[in-house]
Amino acid sequence: MLNLLQSNFALESLEKFVSKMGFVAFFSEMGWGNLVMILIAFFLLYLAIKKEYEPMLMMTIAFGMLLTNLPGAGLFHEELFAGGHVHWDAFTSHEGVAPGLLDYLYLGVKLGIYPCLIFVGVGAMTDFGPLIANPKSFLLGAAAQTGIFLTFIAAYAMGFTPEQAGSIGIIGGADGPTAIFLTAKLAPELLGPIAVAAYSYMALVPVIQPPIMRALTTKKERQIKMSTLRQVSKKERILFPIIIASIISLLLPDAAPLIGCLMLGNLMKECGVVDRLSKTVQNELMNIVVIFLGLTVGATATANTFLSPATIKIMVMGVVAFGVASACGVLFAKLMNCFLKEGNKINPLIGSAGVSAVPMAARVSQKVGQEENPSNFLLMHAMGPNVAGVVGSAVAAGLLLSFLG
Amino acid sequence: MTNFLAVTWGWSEMIWCTVISIALVFCVLILLVFVMMLFGVIFAQKPERKLAKVAEKPISDEQLHEEQIAAITAALKLYKSALHDRESEVLTIQSLKRAYSPWNSKIHGLTQLPDRK
Repeated sequence: MLNLLQSNFALESLEKFVSKMGFVAFFSEMGWGNLVMILIAFFLLYLAIKKEYEPMLMMTIAFGMLLTNLPGAGLFHEELFAGGHVHWDAFTSHEGVAPGLLDYLYLGVKLGIYPCLIFVGVGAMTDFGPLIANPKSFLLGAAAQTGIFLTFIAAYAMGFTPEQAGSIGIIGGADGPTAIFLTAKLAPELLGPIAVAAYSYMALVPVIQPPIMRALTTKKERQIKMSTLRQVSKKERILFPIIIASIISLLLPDAAPLIGCLMLGNLMKECGVVDRLSKTVQNELMNIVVIFLGLTVGATATANTFLSPATIKIMVMGVVAFGVASACGVLFAKLMNCFLKEGNKINPLIGSAGVSAVPMAARVSQKVGQEENPSNFLLMHAMGPNVAGVVGSAVAAGLLLSFLG
Repeated sequence: MTNFLAVTWGWSEMIWCTVISIALVFCVLILLVFVMMLFGVIFAQKPERKLAKVAEKPISDEQLHEEQIAAITAALKLYKSALHDRESEVLTIQSLKRAYSPWNSKIHGLTQLPDRK
């Protein structure tokens, strides 16, 4: 009995247990950083759940951020992906760092699998009919991508490297999967802040775009009524994804993964013979990949990478990219009107839908248009530039990858 | 933050890259505009041509004129709307017979007066 009382075993066990607790790590060096990141994760969870800011991804990103910053949990290890490469030896050897759950799932982002799978689902949910009916919409989609490249220059001027500047600029494309795909290849160290910025601003499209649209257009321009779009035949709908995937992949092989997957999904939807596959990629596959993508992208937002002045700069540049892209779309629509005959003129409000953000940007065009003229229905006209923006941002990402990758 | 894949570019390379990229995005998408316009020419105009051909075709004496078709359709519509559905003319009264139960007994529902003798 005396021996039992004298034994230090119980004390040592307790001490060991306490030293392993995550709470203790908060008091260590950089422990405050984890605490701040957890608070940021709580804030993003609030935005996702209460304010419904892109909840599908924001919620999972925020939770990934929370998990990765819980000291001692060991779910994600940056060192396994240090230097921009996957250290496969660390995954297979039993020495050193033991990979966590999120390390394995992050391979899908690092290898560019998840964004492409999301694009299959996006393609299956997208109706390219308005774009086929009015091919001029492609020009508005192209004009909005100017914002990406102007932000690219601006980010470089702020001290970012060309690869980082390219990744920041792509936020202006308002296309989450494209931004993640490009950043994972060019500047993986910025993946967390760029993903958070991209999805935050996509949710803020109805706040960011209307003032820009109103400032750049006159009341008369906003009231322009557009003629009804022509009917698109099934043959056209089926041939569209095949031809677009072939042409863009041949012109820009670096854009092939994104465009190929987008068009594959669309072909599944339009051909009408693989309904089961189409429904699967739109629902089950998409939802599963969104969970993995969100969690792992959130997991890259560790205190080391996120809590730096660069994050604030990225947030500022992100909103600039969005605003400039929207403005370029509107201004290009006005320019097009100079060459179009009376009766064929386009409402410049649909230009801002050239940033992807499908279908939010098109809805904003419709809403602002109806404020001026309640009988004006711009939604289907705006869907053209909107889906052209998806193609355009994938092309822009392919170009940046071919120049900088 | 460290960058791992640094490209050593100066301002001139950055500006050239931007200009070329913007130009290429436009070139690729303009090419797609023409491809899609070609699409429209090939696929969309066919039905219009067919319709035009049909419209151009002279109406033979054996064929019905549009006004005749309209008159026949209107007559049929009036004839159909004048018709009534023939009913069975059999009236049925559903008998409701409830079995006796103390729950639906009228006598049990009345206040029983005291029997004064």
